Amino acid sequence: MTESVPLTWEEVARVYGRKMYNFAYRLTGNPADASDLVQEVLLRVRKGLDSYQPGSFEGWLWRITRNAFLDDVRRRQRRPTTPIPEDVDRWGLSVSPSSDFEYERLTLGDDIQKALMDLPYEFREAVVLCDVVGLSYEEIATAVAVPVGTVRSRIHRGRKLLRGLLT
Amino acid sequence: MSHAGELISAYLDGELDRGEMQDLLEHLAGCGRCATEMDEMQAVRSAVRSLPMIELPAGLVDRRGPAVVPLRRNRGFLVGAAAAVVAVVIAVAALITPPPQPVSLDDLNSRFGARVSLDPAFGPAKVVVPEIAEVGG
Repeated sequence: MTESVPLTWEEVARVYGRKMYNFAYRLTGNPADASDLVQEVLLRVRKGLDSYQPGSFEGWLWRITRNAFLDDVRRRQRRPTTPIPEDVDRWGLSVSPSSDFEYERLTLGDDIQKALMDLPYEFREAVVLCDVVGLSYEEIATAVAVPVGTVRSRIHRGRKLLRGLLT
Repeated sequence: MSHAGELISAYLDGELDRGEMQDLLEHLAGCGRCATEMDEMQAVRSAVRSLPMIELPAGLVDRRGPAVVPLRRNRGFLVGAAAAVVAVVIAVAALITPPPQPVSLDDLNSRFGARVSLDPAFGPAKVVVPEIAEVGG
């Protein structure tokens, strides 16, 4: 694990933006929510880089990312008022400017995405951080603030649940 | 070891130490159930890892950085700003509009006819029936 710390948020955005977006997309299943989350995370990174203490940069970054996601989930639970038509519109806007090829790419893993959405959050998060983002168990443990043994257990249980959902 | 359990996923992810790997391999040699689970976990892991990486939407992050206000809240901000402008216009209009003059019942009767005088408290009804032009014939 390299510990070279990107000095600017621009570098963070360039190196990690795509992964953040995919993390958020696989957790939410929704491109608009994923876009919002990436912006929120980059704002937090921008504010937090000055006070970053040398350590696991990936762990730090992904802790910010998952905390931003959880904050958003909590905010929605307090105010579950997002009108459905707007969501539909935003989905359409997000997908329609892309080519058919991009749309196919989005829908290619539909069954897997649906199965991921059916997982309890802790398992979904662990599996996505491992298999989509590509973090080590230790980095996931830092990001999620649980012991490595818990990460190992969540990933395995998550995969077993996925197997049941996909067959 | 009863069954390999989570050692299977940890093995697939390269997260086992040497001792654990030795234990796992010895167990797998004699346990068909765990060998099957290994195959299944490998398939699930590959399936999730085969999900396409999606490109960042264009313009999400530009040289100016992340938008100061995230996209969704931006929309809320515009609505709020519009509401604030409307509120100011109403307040200013209220300030510059002369206060309404007292209106007598006679004025109301003359201006609104039947609608006011239908109430028996204001005397006999003066219902104005509009003339209806005959259609056709």
